[in-house]
Amino acid sequence: MSYLAAFVLAIISYSLINNVVLSRFYGICSFIGVGNKIKSAASMGIAVSFVIIMASLICYPIYHFILVPAGVAFLDTITFILVIASLVQVVGLFIKKFSPSLYRALGIYLPLITTNCAVLGVVSENTMSNLDFGMSMANAIGTSIGFLGVIIVYACIRERLESSNVPNAFKGVPIALITAAIMAMAFLGLSGMVG
Amino acid sequence: MMYVLYAFLILAGLGLVLGLALAIASKVLEVKEDARIKEVEKMLPNYNCGACGYPGCHQMAENLVSGAETNLGKCKPGKQDKNYDPIIAYLSEHPDEDGTKHIPSVKK
Repeated sequence: MSYLAAFVLAIISYSLINNVVLSRFYGICSFIGVGNKIKSAASMGIAVSFVIIMASLICYPIYHFILVPAGVAFLDTITFILVIASLVQVVGLFIKKFSPSLYRALGIYLPLITTNCAVLGVVSENTMSNLDFGMSMANAIGTSIGFLGVIIVYACIRERLESSNVPNAFKGVPIALITAAIMAMAFLGLSGMVG
Repeated sequence: MMYVLYAFLILAGLGLVLGLALAIASKVLEVKEDARIKEVEKMLPNYNCGACGYPGCHQMAENLVSGAETNLGKCKPGKQDKNYDPIIAYLSEHPDEDGTKHIPSVKK
């Protein structure tokens, strides 16, 4: 199998089969918190995708060309957190400048991308499974596509749910959690598609 | 023991580089804000209690300056002499650029 084919397969695998939210259960906080309006869900997805891809891009050389040669590979987590926190700050400044209304809509969930385990999960998975640069980027891109797609689909379902007749006990977050569970079960059907 | 030194130097260097990058980014992406908002926010109690209906004192100050909020009494922990009077005095001395004054009143 050529490298390109492996790259594409890895993207499909990370975005659909090992979906970040629905089968690895990363990044649930922003998934539930922002996934009630399509517009804010889409912008949250794009913000998280940007942070994931940039963090993988920056952390790979830092880990392999600075930390490992210096013999301090144990500093990986704190270094990654440092990079991710700075990236989130930049994204926050950017959104505040170009879309103040979006900044208000995302609210606390924007700085919380720092502690979004989807981001740190991807970056430390890259180093722990010793993926090379191409595969690290495939992991980052696939995870981003997976997160973006799932949060938008989820927001669409929740917008429809708002106008439907839900039993009183399930209104709001309970029915949202049940929706997420059914989506996770649906995604389970894709497992085993790529080895 | 060399790796302790390396660890120290690498983290310090990384912090420095990222800090500088953030400082530049915050200058480039700076948002111009009405200077009066900060002044009014300082005169509010700054408990960020949310009793006024806004998420915090900053948003209350924003709305007071823009004139969208005219009732200072919504700020429940505010005191007449400590908070309300200085804000009313400040906003009557500092009108908008075109000269309109948005002076709030106190209705409890």
